Amino acid sequence: MWRLSPSPTRPWPVVLLVVLIGLVAAQPVFAQQLVRLTFYYPVGVSGPLARVINEMVDQFNAEHPNIEVVAVYTGDYDPTMQKVQTAVMGGNPPDIAVVEISEFPTLLAMDAIIPLDEYLAQEDPSYFNDFFPAFWENSRYDGKIWAIPFQRSTPVLYWNKEAFAEVGLDPDRPPRTWDELAEYAALLTKREGGQVTRWGVTISGGWNDWLFEGFVRQNGGKLIDFENRSLHLNSPEAVEALEFWVKLTQQMQVAPPHSTWASTPADFVAGKTAMLYHSTGILTFLKDSATFDFGVAFMPGKKSYGAAVGGGNFFIFKNIPKERQDAAWTFIRWMTTAERAAQWSIASGYIATRQSSYEYPQMQAYVARHPEYLVARDQLQYAYGKAMSPAFQRVREVLKRALDDATAGRMTPRQALDGAQRQLEMQLRQWLQGN
Amino acid sequence: MRSRTPTPSQLLQRLGLNKLLIHLILMMVAGVTAMPYLFALSTSLKHRTEVFTPVPQWIPSSLRFANYADAMAIAPFGTYFINTVIVVLGILAVQLVTATLAGYVFARLRFRGSSLLFGLFLIQMMLPVHAVIVPNYLTIKELGLLDTRVAMMMPFWASGYATFLLRQAFRQIPQDFEDAALIDGCSGPRFLWSVLIPLAKPTIIAFSLISIVTHWNDFLWPLIVTDSPQVRTLTIGLAMFVQQESGADWPLLMAGTILVTAPLMVLFLIYQRKFVESFMHAGVKG
Repeated sequence: MWRLSPSPTRPWPVVLLVVLIGLVAAQPVFAQQLVRLTFYYPVGVSGPLARVINEMVDQFNAEHPNIEVVAVYTGDYDPTMQKVQTAVMGGNPPDIAVVEISEFPTLLAMDAIIPLDEYLAQEDPSYFNDFFPAFWENSRYDGKIWAIPFQRSTPVLYWNKEAFAEVGLDPDRPPRTWDELAEYAALLTKREGGQVTRWGVTISGGWNDWLFEGFVRQNGGKLIDFENRSLHLNSPEAVEALEFWVKLTQQMQVAPPHSTWASTPADFVAGKTAMLYHSTGILTFLKDSATFDFGVAFMPGKKSYGAAVGGGNFFIFKNIPKERQDAAWTFIRWMTTAERAAQWSIASGYIATRQSSYEYPQMQAYVARHPEYLVARDQLQYAYGKAMSPAFQRVREVLKRALDDATAGRMTPRQALDGAQRQLEMQLRQWLQGN
Repeated sequence: MRSRTPTPSQLLQRLGLNKLLIHLILMMVAGVTAMPYLFALSTSLKHRTEVFTPVPQWIPSSLRFANYADAMAIAPFGTYFINTVIVVLGILAVQLVTATLAGYVFARLRFRGSSLLFGLFLIQMMLPVHAVIVPNYLTIKELGLLDTRVAMMMPFWASGYATFLLRQAFRQIPQDFEDAALIDGCSGPRFLWSVLIPLAKPTIIAFSLISIVTHWNDFLWPLIVTDSPQVRTLTIGLAMFVQQESGADWPLLMAGTILVTAPLMVLFLIYQRKFVESFMHAGVKG
């Protein structure tokens, strides 16, 4: 009965009609209101990974008509963190970002991120429990979970089987202890007229602080206790670990005192070092480049095996509308299904973050062809969270300088680590005192 | 003064060997300079397994032009290239206007507080780039220019360095020129345009080269203020080849590097005579 009435005395049907038309017209807008999310991601390993991420994001967007994730490539880990910090300080935070795991306390100190327990509570507990436990250690603070593991790695030992055979070592048996490592390295080092033409072992520089953490773990120590806010850089375990490095570089001269993270995989491929400490992230590169047979092993142990995990985690940011945070969770949850973790692992060479990822046929076929990829996963049972603290970039600089000073013979291990401990106690005083 | 026994250089000159020697040395220097570029070119055509050999290998066993296609597939280099050209020239054009005007004022006009103001310009030169990233970001955000090409240009439109260089260049031009120009009825902007700028051409060209190279290579600022591939620049594309955790894929990285640096190389090869000439013609003719 809402026909247009010509009578000016009864205007309400007209009003009603206008309102109705308005509602009908507005309906689709309400239904399809699009939540747009900005997602910062770094690329840490070689290969067309930016394209892989974009494909995954496109698929997510196609499956979720009311969410649109915009993936923004942000360089390596360091530029990514700089972009995140600038954006947060500029009041324009991203919704989601993958950031290097040791930056977690810095993000906390900036009050930039939100805890994810509320979202985890909505999920079946099997989701949380399926991740390798070592990966959660860099997500915990104040009894809450703040980050979801995504692209994760550990350091391992690579060895050149041909070089082993050449000096009479069993090519299929890597060193298992520090003593064996030193002994093998001595055999494998080749010299021509005082010049080393092949090092026995190379402990890659650049991220040697990360490798060093593994050695300290193998010796039963810990560099930074994040929960209890204490530093143990000059603990007897750490000093002994550094003494072992100095023994390799200075006394035995079977390892180079300096190297860079980017050049040592190339040195290994060129046969300039017979054993190499590096990330699992280079495995795909080595397989593509090496013309000789090589193996992947746990980092040799002392009191036990040990390694610190590495890589990047997902974070959701503060000061954005709740609906965007909710949508961000939907995206993270989708990116971390066991199946997608398997896909991502195959594409990138990272460890699949979830245990059940290894049951997928695709993944099983893959590791059957390349069993080396399982070494890093199996090492996880001896792995720990990576050291972290606020302003961790500065901590790394101080620690790396101490390590370099000792391996170059400029200081004794004790002097170098005492110095680093003192310096960081000063710089992190506020945090150490609980503020 | 004439020595009785000829010096070695005189001997060489007599034998006509002087020029030969100079050319030999120059050829060696040129070889050393070109070597990294040639090796990059060679690596960009290799297969991955050929990159690292105990003895460097100059000629790839087979030329893999596919590396270039693979590199191009990693990022939209065509768009990045156009953006880079726009940003670099956009910065330079405005810089030249602001810097010549400011340089002229600081060099030729005396007014209250001019030295204080010039001091402030010098301070701008001394501030490290990282110190101003957040303030600049806030400005760009307030102007609503995030994720645009203008955002990449704007902070560099006024350059303390360029102002300083041009001020010095203008000051070196004798006062007589200005007096003569004034007598002929040429003053102010006309004097700047017809006398000072032509005489300062070497400085302007030198600064332009520095500016182009600096902003062609700038990475952090474009990365921070842009999000979408439509407006981003070449260095961001190149960064996709360098990886912190795994090391680089060298043939692709080198193919990308050649693609990114080639335009500058070609530009220089074409115009090198002009560049050099402009430096040679510097100086005041009595």
